[in-house]
Amino acid sequence: MKFEWFVASRYLLSRRKQSFISIISIISIAGVGLGVATVILVIAVLDGVEHGLRDRFLANEAHVVLRLIGNNFFGDYQDRIERITDVEGVVAASPVVYSQMGVFQTGGEGIKDTIFVKGIDTAQEDKVTGFSHFVEGSVDFQTSPLIKEAALREGETISGGMVVGSRLAARLGIGVGDVLRLVVSLDENPGSIGSPTFLVDFSNFVIIGFYESELAVYDNQIAYIAKETAQELYDAEDKVNVILVKLEDAEMASELSVLIEDAAQFSDIIDRAITTTWLETHASLFAALKLEKIATVIIEALIILVAAFNIASTLIMTVMEKTRDIGTLRTLGASRGNILGIFMIQGSVIGMLGTIAGSALGLGLCWLLSNNVVRPSPLYAFGAIALLIICQIVIAFRRLIPHGTIRKLGMSVFWVVVVGFVLYCFVKPISLKELGLSGIYQMNELPIRVNWFFVGFINLLSFLICWLGTTYPAWQASNLKPIEALQYE
Amino acid sequence: MLQDSMTNLIRIDNLHKSFYDGDSELKVLKGVNLEVRNSEILAIMGASGVGKSTLLHLLGTLDRPTDGRIYYEDQDITAFTERDLTRFRNEAIGFVFQFHQLLPEFAALENVAMGGLIRKSKSVKFDDSNSLNIGGVYETAVHLLNSVGLSERLEHYPSQLSGGERQRVAIARALINQPKVVLADEPTGNIDDKTSESVLDVLQDINERLNQTFVIVTHDSRLSERAHRTVQLVGGRIAG
Repeated sequence: MKFEWFVASRYLLSRRKQSFISIISIISIAGVGLGVATVILVIAVLDGVEHGLRDRFLANEAHVVLRLIGNNFFGDYQDRIERITDVEGVVAASPVVYSQMGVFQTGGEGIKDTIFVKGIDTAQEDKVTGFSHFVEGSVDFQTSPLIKEAALREGETISGGMVVGSRLAARLGIGVGDVLRLVVSLDENPGSIGSPTFLVDFSNFVIIGFYESELAVYDNQIAYIAKETAQELYDAEDKVNVILVKLEDAEMASELSVLIEDAAQFSDIIDRAITTTWLETHASLFAALKLEKIATVIIEALIILVAAFNIASTLIMTVMEKTRDIGTLRTLGASRGNILGIFMIQGSVIGMLGTIAGSALGLGLCWLLSNNVVRPSPLYAFGAIALLIICQIVIAFRRLIPHGTIRKLGMSVFWVVVVGFVLYCFVKPISLKELGLSGIYQMNELPIRVNWFFVGFINLLSFLICWLGTTYPAWQASNLKPIEALQYE
Repeated sequence: MLQDSMTNLIRIDNLHKSFYDGDSELKVLKGVNLEVRNSEILAIMGASGVGKSTLLHLLGTLDRPTDGRIYYEDQDITAFTERDLTRFRNEAIGFVFQFHQLLPEFAALENVAMGGLIRKSKSVKFDDSNSLNIGGVYETAVHLLNSVGLSERLEHYPSQLSGGERQRVAIARALINQPKVVLADEPTGNIDDKTSESVLDVLQDINERLNQTFVIVTHDSRLSERAHRTVQLVGGRIAG
């Protein structure tokens, strides 16, 4: 073992009178460890949220949305879709009649709510957004037996079946088989005198299924009907106002959207086509998440910096404590470099142990929060804690186990095992649904995604900060004059 | 008694040392001239505060003189760089202090081996066979502890040793690199009379067996009786 390592390791595990320094070393390691663990966990949650949202957006949404300025209807859409699907990188495209309608409250004589209604071709829509996979119930918008049943029961004309977002259904208090009256259009009556009156165009739909994507933004405000029905409602035979496009690689959306616009072949003079990518639609959300991550990294780096100051103060105390030893070592021929090395190793080992312990804790918590396995009863955890306390008491009185390295090592391993077991018993995936937060966060469970590149980065950053924290005390130790150090009281 | 014809190991020429506190100068050594011969025990005596320890520190390269020269075998060490002095201190000088100055975290054997480990770490810095050489250092340390009568105390820590035992460990430590000279600052100043005798026996035995040169600063008249020569430091100069 190299001389510097030999001395530094002994100082780190110092005995008896100097055990105070040893305790501070442990506190320093814990400080760095907690900082690193926190940053790994928080970033894993933020990354999980971002990727959870991305995955859900990508599972539910078209990658590119093509429409005309002013949301005008356009014809020849099947030809346009064929040309769009010929573009390299495009998987499928689907025609949609997209509109906003009012929910008419029977008896209340007014519009209760507004919802977005998508008139779709189920087969084509499935290829783009996988619509049917998210529906509980029927997707037979025109042939469902519920339509006839409702017409007979209500004595009203029923335009067709409708699939509504699960949260929307809950909000409106409707179930499968119920009829929903929608205000399709609201036009000012040209013949009205005095205050304006409106001509209201109603349409009745029967609820045939619920759409549940786990994304509140959709489940809360979107309903689906047959494309043909929507075309009839808006007198737009063989016309749609939106084409949804799915790509092989969603990240290529920005590049391919130009080619898609060209392939659609709209005359720029009369009908100007525009495309919106999924990234643009959610740009503000992703920007906010990114900003949040940057802020988190900065705050956590400051936490690690505080821990590094802790290391620095530990080392300064060690240098003060060891001043006479430093003097002795210098008289024995240790160079300034040797002394610098001893204290740099000491600080670096504290930083490294803290970083490794923090990474293990952070990654362990990430694993526990993302794996829903059956956990032992909390009683076992309390039992383990009690056993640990008993062991510590026995050791405190030194009646059973002799003092020594094996005992120290054994107790350290026991501590780690007990802490790990207690965490295993108590830390479980967090259900946002149970906490009533799924509406806010758009997902049912707190998502965790470990970013290994970031784990590596934060390890490096933490070690670097700790290493920098050790330089001053180590330099201070190496600059002690041997004679002054020997005479230090 | 040693013969006058013995060669000089150390020659001190007109050595001055002053300490400064702001603008005020405190002259401690005012032109010391002294020769130390090979294999002798030289005792330096004098009143408290006369500069005995300062002279020893200068001899031990722990401090630099304000003026004057110190020659070790005709080599002027006052001209050495910091780096050279550190190496010289490690290889050519052994120290024994009044308060043993053993490292509390290390066992007696490790304390004795420390100087050798430092030497090996410098000489075989890029040699992977370092461990073999380190083994050699420990063998020497065991041998030295045996020679000072501490063969049963190798694994004991300083706190587990008596005052005399600690001082004997310190003497063994000073010898690890077979130094040209051992500089001892009041080696019996902190131990009782009986223990002092045993420490002095050890010093004398080593001197006789190994021809080891000792320069000892002391108030202890028994020690000066055992020395080959005794010089008095008076008013910052060697008297007589």
